[in-house]
Amino acid sequence: MPPDQVLAAMTEILGGVAGIDQADITPETSLSDLGIDSLMMVEVVVAAEDRFGLLIDDDDWPRFKTVLDATRYIGRAAEGH
Amino acid sequence: MTQPPVRVGIVGAGIGGLSLALALRERGLQADVFEQAAELTEIGAAIGLAANAIREFARLGLVGELAAASTIPTELIYRHWRDGNRIAAHPVRQDDWYAKQFGAPWFGIHRAELQKILSAAYGTGHVHLGCRLVNIIEQADSVVLEFANGRTHEADLVVGADGVRSVVRRWVTGADDVVYSGTSAFRGIVPTENLPSLPDPDAIQFWMGPDGHLLHYAIGRNGESVNFFAVVETPRIWRHDGSVAEVADEVPVASFRGWHPAVTEMIQAASSPIRWGLFTVRPLLRWYRGRVVILGDAAHGMLPHHGQGANTSIEDAFALAGLLADARGDDLEATFSRYQALRRARTRTIQRSSWVTSSLLHLPDGPAARARDAKLATVPQDFGWIHEYDVQQALEASGAASVGHSRNETR
Repeated sequence: MPPDQVLAAMTEILGGVAGIDQADITPETSLSDLGIDSLMMVEVVVAAEDRFGLLIDDDDWPRFKTVLDATRYIGRAAEGH
Repeated sequence: MTQPPVRVGIVGAGIGGLSLALALRERGLQADVFEQAAELTEIGAAIGLAANAIREFARLGLVGELAAASTIPTELIYRHWRDGNRIAAHPVRQDDWYAKQFGAPWFGIHRAELQKILSAAYGTGHVHLGCRLVNIIEQADSVVLEFANGRTHEADLVVGADGVRSVVRRWVTGADDVVYSGTSAFRGIVPTENLPSLPDPDAIQFWMGPDGHLLHYAIGRNGESVNFFAVVETPRIWRHDGSVAEVADEVPVASFRGWHPAVTEMIQAASSPIRWGLFTVRPLLRWYRGRVVILGDAAHGMLPHHGQGANTSIEDAFALAGLLADARGDDLEATFSRYQALRRARTRTIQRSSWVTSSLLHLPDGPAARARDAKLATVPQDFGWIHEYDVQQALEASGAASVGHSRNETR
C-alpha cells in the first residue's frame, strides 16, 4: 500500500478518536498533542488493525510518539502481509 | 427449519461453555459439553457479572436466582493506597444508578454459585465430566473429539471454551499464544466482620498504589463476605507450571507493607499463601479452523482489570449461538467468519484496555497519578461502552436475527 494512503487512513482514524479535524493533523504532530492517551490509543490501534487486516504487537504501539511513527510502522507491517 | 439438527460439541464446562450450551438451547440447538474435571467445582473466587452479560441471562429467566446469590455494591470507589483518601466515587446500587444507566444490574457472585445456577439450568444430561481433550480429528463432514479416558465424540462443529491455556486454541492457531503479564495476584474471601478497618465494606473499591492495587467487593446472599484481588508487579518472569504458585506465609502481606490498614488486614485475614500469575492470550487474527472455533478466555484471555473476562465470554456465547441459529445452510466457515467479525474487535479492545488499566492502577504518587485521579471522575462515562453493550442489538446490526427481548420465558 502506498505510504500516502496509509497516512491518510491513519489521519482519519486519529482524527476520529481524538475528535480533531483531519486538516489539523500533520505527520509530525505528536499523539499527545492530539490528546490521545494510552486508553484512546487502544481504540486507534484496533481500528488500524481492522483497516489493514493485521495485528500490531503490544510491545510496539506504546512506542508510537507521532502520527508518522504509527504510519511508518503500519506501512511496514502491511507490506509484510 | 428443514435442515438436519446441528451437533455441537463444547470443550469446557466453565462459565463460557455452560453459557453457550444455554444460549444454543434458547435457539433450539443441542450441545454436548465436555469437561476435564471430574466434578463441576469452580475454584474459590468471585466474579462481577455486568449488565452486558446479565441482560442475556435475564432473557433465560435466571436473574432471580442470580440476584439471590449475589451482592450489588453500593458504590464504585477509588482510594489512595496509604491514606485511604476517596479519590473518586460513583453510585452503583445507590439510586439504582448502574441498572438504570446500563439496563441491567451488576452482581458480585461466587464463581461456584454462578456455575451451579448455570449447570442446574442446563441439566446434567448433556454435560460429560472427566473428559480431558487429547486430540481433534477432522473428517470429511464432521469432527471427532478424543478424550484421555478413551471416549470419543463426533460433532458437526466444536467450540473450544477451555480457558486461557486452551487445548483447542493450540489446534486452531498452531501456537501457544499465552503471555505472562509480569503481574500476579493474591486473592481471598474474608467475612466482613473480620475487617474492622475497612471503610465502605459494601462498595466495590480500588486501592491504588505504587506497583500494585487491591480490588474488593462484597459477595454472598447478604453481602456477608468480601472478595478481594490484590495485584503486584512481580515476578518479572513466571517460572512455574500452570498459573498458581505457593509462597511463604508472609509474602502476601509483605507485598503490601506500608499500605492502609484495611488493605493489609484483608490480606492477612485471608491467610492464603498462593500467588496467581496473571496470563493473557495475545490478540489473535483467527478464531477458527475448519469445523472448530474458540470463545471466551481461549480466544481473548485478558487481565481482569475491567472485570470483563467472564462477561465477554458470555457475550461470545450468545453471539455465536445467534449466528449458528441464523446460518440457514451457510457454510460453517462463513458463520465462524461472521462470529469473528462481530466479536474480535470488541474483545481485543477490552483486552488492551485492561492491560493499559493495569499500569494506570499501579502509578507511584506524582503527576501521572494525579492526572489519572482527575480522569477517574468520569469512569462511568469513559467505560460505559463496555457495560451498555447489547449482544442482541449487535447481532441485529450485523444482519442476524436477535431473540426478542420481551419474550416470556418459562422454565
